[in-house]
Amino acid sequence: MDGKVMNMKEAVSRNVKPGDLLFISGAQHGTPSAAVAEIVRQKINHLTVISVLNNTMPLIGEGLVDKVLTGYSMTDERRSYPLQRARERFNVKVEFREYSHFGIALALFAGYTGVPFLPTKGHVGSDMMKYNENIQSINCPFTGGQIGVIRAVVPDVGVLHVQRCDAEGNAQKWGTLGVDFEGINASKRVIITTEKIVDSSVIQRDPNRTIIPGFRVNAVVEQPFGAYPGHLVGCYNDGPMSFGGMQGEEGWENYINNEIYGVKDWNEYLEKLKGVHGDDFLEKIKIKKPMLSEPIITGM
Amino acid sequence: MNKDENAKTYTAVDQMIISAARQIKDTDVVYVGVGFPIQAAVLAKNLHAPNCTIILQNGIVRASLFRLPYTTDTMESQLSAEQLTGLFYVNCLGQAGHLTLGFMGGGQIDRYGNVNDHVVGDYYKPIHRWMGSGGANDLMSFCKRTIIILEQSKRRFPERVDFNTCPGYFDGKPNRRKEMGLPPDNGPVAVITDLATYSFEDREMTLKTVHTDCGITLEKVKAELGWDIKVAEDLSDTEPPTDEELRVYREKIVAERRIPPFMARPREVKKQD
Repeated sequence: MDGKVMNMKEAVSRNVKPGDLLFISGAQHGTPSAAVAEIVRQKINHLTVISVLNNTMPLIGEGLVDKVLTGYSMTDERRSYPLQRARERFNVKVEFREYSHFGIALALFAGYTGVPFLPTKGHVGSDMMKYNENIQSINCPFTGGQIGVIRAVVPDVGVLHVQRCDAEGNAQKWGTLGVDFEGINASKRVIITTEKIVDSSVIQRDPNRTIIPGFRVNAVVEQPFGAYPGHLVGCYNDGPMSFGGMQGEEGWENYINNEIYGVKDWNEYLEKLKGVHGDDFLEKIKIKKPMLSEPIITGM
Repeated sequence: MNKDENAKTYTAVDQMIISAARQIKDTDVVYVGVGFPIQAAVLAKNLHAPNCTIILQNGIVRASLFRLPYTTDTMESQLSAEQLTGLFYVNCLGQAGHLTLGFMGGGQIDRYGNVNDHVVGDYYKPIHRWMGSGGANDLMSFCKRTIIILEQSKRRFPERVDFNTCPGYFDGKPNRRKEMGLPPDNGPVAVITDLATYSFEDREMTLKTVHTDCGITLEKVKAELGWDIKVAEDLSDTEPPTDEELRVYREKIVAERRIPPFMARPREVKKQD
């Protein structure tokens, strides 16, 4: 019996530790919302989070994040209730290290390839360099001119949500990949959450689609609608935000108590949402006209 | 349609998007940001540039026409794309010199085309803050030509930006990009606002056309700039939208603007309807 398949609670408690550098996949596509909710539920704190177009606000607003590495985030406390709350309730003043999107991708790519930094023709001359020690400019040993360098990021743990994965953790995601490939392959420990655990033969008949192999994966969690309310290609479209806004104390308390602390897991949360959006709300966002590609031919 | 009738039927913002769309050539590979840039790009693809390739930051490469999405990455913007890949890949295309045009917005832009997407005032104690670079620094660094689209006000057009997120031509002196290590021949080539259009002459933003048909005057344009703008010798009126441009714009852009489901709150949905 393979020990990798487990529930979300176990996957998170075994692999996400206080003080971890955490990679959350899914830039605007298939972000692992269910896993993030579980990390909040377990109140794993002092995290450093890499944020590329994903929702890190639940973690921030509950005071669990000390530092964010990001290309695009609301960093102004006056305009962000989660940041205000982190400071007022939890005495956490969130630090930011700002890059351009490609800077984060390069940092993760460097981590994935095992080198300490990567050179780039971007970022140089930008004021981001003044406030982020992870971006420098050096003399190029080959051309003589200045070249930017971005320091590698090696996450302690990465979470990736995919359409399908086998019990060994061979994970396949399609559609846009944002920084998924670089980020998950850079991560020391890996949690895969998947819409469906499939037979290994499904993976083996289309192995080019595997973005991380089983031997690199620590935990596999089957979690349908694990990226809700975001979209996931081939599965479902964007859904409505569940209990309304996250700005302001009342909205936040409502959200956090209903969606996270008030339920034992993601399935119970989705069940509870039926009371808000109707029994068929998940059916409604499922794709209606699946489009199949030509099969990839392998064989002897 | 005569000019008077035309003037009644479009706004200065419409002119801005249509003027921006005109900058896209049929042969361009254009990297676009969310908001006005993607609207201009989809409009161009529906009009005079059906063969341009549109690149969206998350890894979407589209040579075929697609419906205006409500944000960059949606089920629709991904569906039937020519290539779906990642952020690293599309930026490598840029860094290696394969993207001919970048189309972006910005918080502020200055005299020498430097764009600020971070802070007004001190970095740690800012008067105002935006969300940060996103893909903007990448785009301005890597694309052969970069065009910035934003609504014009004195506040957003200072002589020097407080924070240089996306370097244009720094202080305007020659060779600054090369000295810093940026691709030397790239950089901003035009700024399109709801008042006017600008090009860069000797690395300095230069007024080219004024949206006079929308009732905009040269005085108004100058009043909404933080420095004494250089004016092109051939300063002219912005060419108003043609009937065809307006028809396609209304049909493919205005009618397709939507609020994403996760942003829609009950009240806002009603307003939108």
